[in-house]
Amino acid sequence: MATDRTAEALLPGLRVPGNRVSRRAISYWTARAVLSGGTIVLAVVIGAAASGFSAAWTAAIAATAVAAAAHALIMPRWRYRVHRWEVTDQALYTRSGWFSVHWRIAPISRIQTIDSHRSFGERLFGLANVTATTASAAGPVRIHGLDRELADTLLDQLAVATGQAPGDAT
Amino acid sequence: MTKPEVAGADADDRPAASKEAGSDTGWLRLSPRSLVVRPLTDLARLLPLLAGIFILHSRTGSSLIWGVVASVVAIVTGLVHWVTTRYRITDERVYVRRGLLSTKLLSVARDRIRTVDVTAHLLHRVLGVCRVSIGTGRNDYRSGESFHLDGLTRADAESLRGLLLAGQPVRGGEEPDPAEQRPDQAASAASTASAAAAEQGSEIAALRLSWLRFAPLTLTGLVVLGVLFGSVIQISNATNGNLARSGPVRLIVAEFAALDIVQRILVGAAVAVVGYVLIALIGYIAVYWNFRLAEFGVGTVRVTRGLLSVRATTISLSRLRGVEISEPLLLRAARGARCIAITTGLHVGRGAEHEGSVLLPPAPREVATEVTATLLGVPVELCSGPLTRHGPAALRRRYFRALTSAAVIVAVIGVATWARSGPLWVPIASLALLPVAGFVAVDRYRNLGHRLAGGWLVTRTGSFARRRSIIGTDAIIGWRIHQTWFQRRQGLMTLTATTAAGQQHYSLRDVPVAEGLAVAAQATGDLIRPFQMV
Repeated sequence: MATDRTAEALLPGLRVPGNRVSRRAISYWTARAVLSGGTIVLAVVIGAAASGFSAAWTAAIAATAVAAAAHALIMPRWRYRVHRWEVTDQALYTRSGWFSVHWRIAPISRIQTIDSHRSFGERLFGLANVTATTASAAGPVRIHGLDRELADTLLDQLAVATGQAPGDAT
Repeated sequence: MTKPEVAGADADDRPAASKEAGSDTGWLRLSPRSLVVRPLTDLARLLPLLAGIFILHSRTGSSLIWGVVASVVAIVTGLVHWVTTRYRITDERVYVRRGLLSTKLLSVARDRIRTVDVTAHLLHRVLGVCRVSIGTGRNDYRSGESFHLDGLTRADAESLRGLLLAGQPVRGGEEPDPAEQRPDQAASAASTASAAAAEQGSEIAALRLSWLRFAPLTLTGLVVLGVLFGSVIQISNATNGNLARSGPVRLIVAEFAALDIVQRILVGAAVAVVGYVLIALIGYIAVYWNFRLAEFGVGTVRVTRGLLSVRATTISLSRLRGVEISEPLLLRAARGARCIAITTGLHVGRGAEHEGSVLLPPAPREVATEVTATLLGVPVELCSGPLTRHGPAALRRRYFRALTSAAVIVAVIGVATWARSGPLWVPIASLALLPVAGFVAVDRYRNLGHRLAGGWLVTRTGSFARRRSIIGTDAIIGWRIHQTWFQRRQGLMTLTATTAAGQQHYSLRDVPVAEGLAVAAQATGDLIRPFQMV
C-alpha cells in the first residue's frame, strides 16, 4: 500500500500520513457534489424558464451541467487521493483538500478535546468525522470520511493518549 | 445554568474545588459604594432616552413617572448585583459567585491567571472604586462568564491584584523596591485621581507629548468620530429634534451654498482635516494619557493609561508569548509603530486599544523595538533587523495578485464608461491604478519575511497594515500547512504556527517549501521531524 498512487507526497520533504480514509467517502462526496451541483443547475433552469429558454440561457444550462458533472466525477476521486491521516504517540497528522491541500500537525500533548460527529449524510454512508481541538482557536484537526467503527476506536485511542499527557496544554 | 462553571480547570482539580466552594466561609462582597456606581451607570446609559421622554412628555407630566420607574429599576438591579455577587480566594483557586435566579459559580486555579486588569471610568474614580478583570487562558468566553468584579474599592483591588499575581512562581513574592519609584509627572492633575498612576517599579516606557504627532495617523480617531456621530444622532432622535433645521446648522449651510465649487472643495477638505486631527488628538489623549509601562515586581509588567477612564493591566511575563509590532501605512510613513502583547487571556483584534493588550500606543519605531526587546529579552536586532525574504516566486505572486485585481477594476471602469458613454478621461485616469498596484506588490514583497533565532519565530506581512510578530517557539502548539494548486506549481506554501495566545495563528505566507519545512523543524524539532523525509 505504501507504493500505490495515493501515496503521492505532494509536498517534497513531508511524508504522506499513513492511513487512507474509507472508500465509501468517495460515494459520500459524490452524493454531496451531485446534490449541490444539481441545485445550481436547477436554479439556472428556473432562470431560463422565466426568460423563455433563449439561446444564451440554453448554453448557460449546458455549461453549468457539464461543470457540475465534471466536479462530481473528478472532485471525490481527487479528494480521496489527498485525504490521509496518521496518529503517532506524539502527534496527530492529517492531509486534506483537493485543489488546495492542507496539512495539519497537532501534538497529542496539546489536544484538549476529541469528538466525533456524524451528519445525516455521513450516517447514510456509514461514515464519521473526528475532530481534535487544541488550546488555539485556529488549531482544530479534523479527519473526515472515516469508517464508523474506526472513528470510535480512534476516539478511544486519542482519549487515552491525551489523558496521559501532562500539563495544561497551552 | 446552576451547576458550577469551572473555568480552565484540570479534571483532577474538581473534587477539591467543589468542596471548597461549598463551604460558606471566607466569601467577600464588593464595596457598598458599588451600590451607587451601578444604578448611576445604568441611568447614564439611558440618559439620551430619558431626555427624549422628558422633552416629549413635558406637558403631560408622565415624564416624572418614567423617570421614577427607571431610577427604581436601576437601584433594585444595583442592590441585587451587590447582594448576590461574592468572591473568595483560597490557596489554590479564586471563586466568583453571582446571580439571583440562576446562580453562577465561576472558579479559576490561581496558577492559571495570566493577567489582572483594573479599570476605572469617570464615575468609578469619583467614588474611588474600580473594576477588576482576571484573564485566564480561555479563549471561548461566553457572555456572563468573563471573570470580573465590578465595584471593588481601590485598596481592595490593589491587594487583590498583589495577592493574585504574587502567587505566580516567577515573581517569588518579592515586593518592588520603593526607591525605584519614578517621580510622577507633577503637571498632570489626572494622575492624582488615578488609582494606578502612583505605582512602583522601574519604568520601561512612558508617554511623551511629542508622541501626539502620531495620533492622526491611526484609525483611533475614526473610531472616536463614529462614537461621537452615533451619540449626536441618538440624542437628536431621542429629543425628536432635527439638527438640520436648527439655527446654527442652517446658517452654515447657507454660507456654504454661497461659495463656488472650488471654494467648497477647499473649505470642505480643510474642515474635514482639521476636525479629524482634533478628534484624533482627543481620542489619543483620552485613551493613552499618563501611559506608563513599568516593571511591577519580579517577572511582571504593568501598563497604566487613560484620562477619564483609567486602565491598569498587569501582565505576567512568563505568560507573555510574544509581541506584535504593528505599523499601519501612515504610521509607518512617519516612522512610528505600536506594540500589542501576544498572551493568553487577553483578546487581540479590532479595537485592540480598547482591550488590555496594548503595550505601547503609537510611538516612534525605535521606542517600539526597544520596548519589545526589553520585554521579551531578545536582541533589538530581532525586532527591527532584516528578515529572510521569500524569493522571486513570492514576488511574482504579489505582482500577479495586485495587477490582476487592478486590471479587473480598470476593465470594469472602462466597460461602465463605454456603456454609459461617459467621458474618456475616466478610464484613462483609472490606468494609474496599475503602477500603484505595482508599488503595493513590491512593498508587500519587501515586508514579507521571517526569521528564527534563539527560540523566537519572527514573521512579518502586510503593506497597509504591516505587522511584525515575534512569538516564542515554546508557545507554538501545532502547525498548519496550506498549499493551493498555484502555490504547488511555484514551489511555495503557507506555513502557519498555531498558538493559544494573541491572534491564535501566525503565518509565513508564500514561503519556499524547503525553507518553510526547515523553519518548522528548527522551531519545534520533535513535532515535525517524524513526518519529514530525508
